[in-house]
Amino acid sequence: MILKRYIPIAIVAIFGSLTLSAWFIDNETIETFANDDATQFFDIIAAFAVFLGALNLLKLQFIKFIKKQKGWQYSAISIISFFFAFTIGFFIRGAYFVEDKVFFTEEAALESLITVDISKGQQEPSYKVQENSFKDISDAKNFAIKQNLITPVDWGAHVQKNGSLFQWMFKYIFSPLSATMFALLAFFVASASFRAFRARNFEASLLLLAGIIIMIGRVPAGGLISSWMVMYLIVLVSGLYIHYLKKKNNVTIIFTLAGFILVTIAGMITGWPLDKPSIFYLPLLQEWIYLVPNAAGSTAILMGIGLGIVVTSLRYIFGLEKSYLGE
Amino acid sequence: MNLDKKYTTYIVGIFLIIVFTILLTMLPSSINFFKEEKSAMFVLTLSVIFIMLYEIRLTKFTDKLPFLRSIPGLKAIEEAVGRSTEMGKPILFVPGIMDMNEVETVAGVVVLGHVANMTAKYETELDVPVARAIVMQAARQVSKEAYLTQGRPELYNEDMVHYITDDQFAYAAAVNGIMQRDEPAACLYMGKFFAESLLFAETGNSIGAIQIAGTGSQTQIPFFVTACDYTLMGEEFFAASAYLSQEADLIAGITAQDLIKVILVIVILFGTVSRALFDLGLVSFDFITLIGI
Repeated sequence: MILKRYIPIAIVAIFGSLTLSAWFIDNETIETFANDDATQFFDIIAAFAVFLGALNLLKLQFIKFIKKQKGWQYSAISIISFFFAFTIGFFIRGAYFVEDKVFFTEEAALESLITVDISKGQQEPSYKVQENSFKDISDAKNFAIKQNLITPVDWGAHVQKNGSLFQWMFKYIFSPLSATMFALLAFFVASASFRAFRARNFEASLLLLAGIIIMIGRVPAGGLISSWMVMYLIVLVSGLYIHYLKKKNNVTIIFTLAGFILVTIAGMITGWPLDKPSIFYLPLLQEWIYLVPNAAGSTAILMGIGLGIVVTSLRYIFGLEKSYLGE
Repeated sequence: MNLDKKYTTYIVGIFLIIVFTILLTMLPSSINFFKEEKSAMFVLTLSVIFIMLYEIRLTKFTDKLPFLRSIPGLKAIEEAVGRSTEMGKPILFVPGIMDMNEVETVAGVVVLGHVANMTAKYETELDVPVARAIVMQAARQVSKEAYLTQGRPELYNEDMVHYITDDQFAYAAAVNGIMQRDEPAACLYMGKFFAESLLFAETGNSIGAIQIAGTGSQTQIPFFVTACDYTLMGEEFFAASAYLSQEADLIAGITAQDLIKVILVIVILFGTVSRALFDLGLVSFDFITLIGI
């Protein structure tokens, strides 16, 4: 009971309070603890926990593969990929540097250093490394190694250096696969937008309208659309809406005509400026939508999130919330 | 308890907190360790603590639980579990892609505990792919306890919570693969999400699963709202534990949260008016500058 309940709660309370107090107390020890030490403790625990994760992954994939469960072929690929990445990460360093050139194997790096000299009159070729000549190629290679003409990249650093197999895998297998997944988002955004923009009710119609204004207002062509054109469109749509409400043709015609005449008179008086009145000019309208109603809504959500995080954290620190212990 | 007395206590308490903070800033520099520039935050934090503890204290004197409005997304969790049971299909629970150092992940794992309680009760299959090994351990512990609590330890299988990978898109690909192959009847996304949120939600939508999302990741909320059946937005997600457990102490925390929100709204309104008056030259002090924002 003490081990499973009170000690975890005490740890959360002590370390939570310390981290919180680091915000308000000007003390280097507490600040170092909160900003560096605590995160390092976490990283160390996470590093060890990865072994558990990796073992769990392998176990499940092996079971799936051996029992030929549904999709076992993917498990085979997972297992092969796991051991491939493991081997090239821990056992194959690669990345041999000769000045600024990089080679995948030491042999390839040595060959780049050795030039074969087949002069006239020589029965056998000689091998040159810099200014030194050797009759045997193995002597030339040994010389190059002893002179440290080849610099292999350090273990650990090889995963990030060009020329290593790990980096090759990262660049040519892993990154394209990740990019493929990310690129799928474009299609998913399209399909999700299609559903969201269906004008089923007032809110959805508002979303549709705001979406259209923002999309058109943000492209260069949007700047060419006159605010007067938008006003004519508004009159037309309002006329249609009135027709939908009243179902009387004469009311619709009178309203629409009056609207058109008013807009035309206003345009003639002001000289039809492209961006005036600015509330109907799409680039300015979209900016207003983005900076005012959108920012207001998202700030409200953000405040809720912030308060939620604060109260939830305090619940953990004070030991009120114990669900994370399974209680 | 008398409401007047309650709010008087809050006003007096917050006033004392402000006085205490001012006194802290006035201490001689040799013994002053307080960061003066964070005074406003300090007052707010102490006020939250004070109101929360006082609300919890008040619940001890009453049998009635504080009112908590109905949250459709949380009500729908039981419906989703029931649907999965009827269809004989599993429930997929995704606790986000971040580690246990994120409050949202912890909140997600807490919700998982409640979901595991229901799956244990209804004998429904639960699948929890995770992106972090520490989350895997925490989620296993929570699920195991839930199955034990329901008296169904034999239904608990450690591998129902399984690790996939730390990488964002590799994890997304794997979870999408699970969805396509196993076709779960319900998909629950509770935790911290980034760009993969829409990948999950749209795939879940394509297989016809009932989807419930909960996150505090502000940028992902619109995607979940668009593609999921129910979404717990921000604070609703953090209130999930209180709502599902119906524990008075936890609900009191939500009440405190709402009270603080009201106080913040008053501060914002007062700050806006004060700033406007200051800019117009009608008053000589600016409240916004005074509290250090």
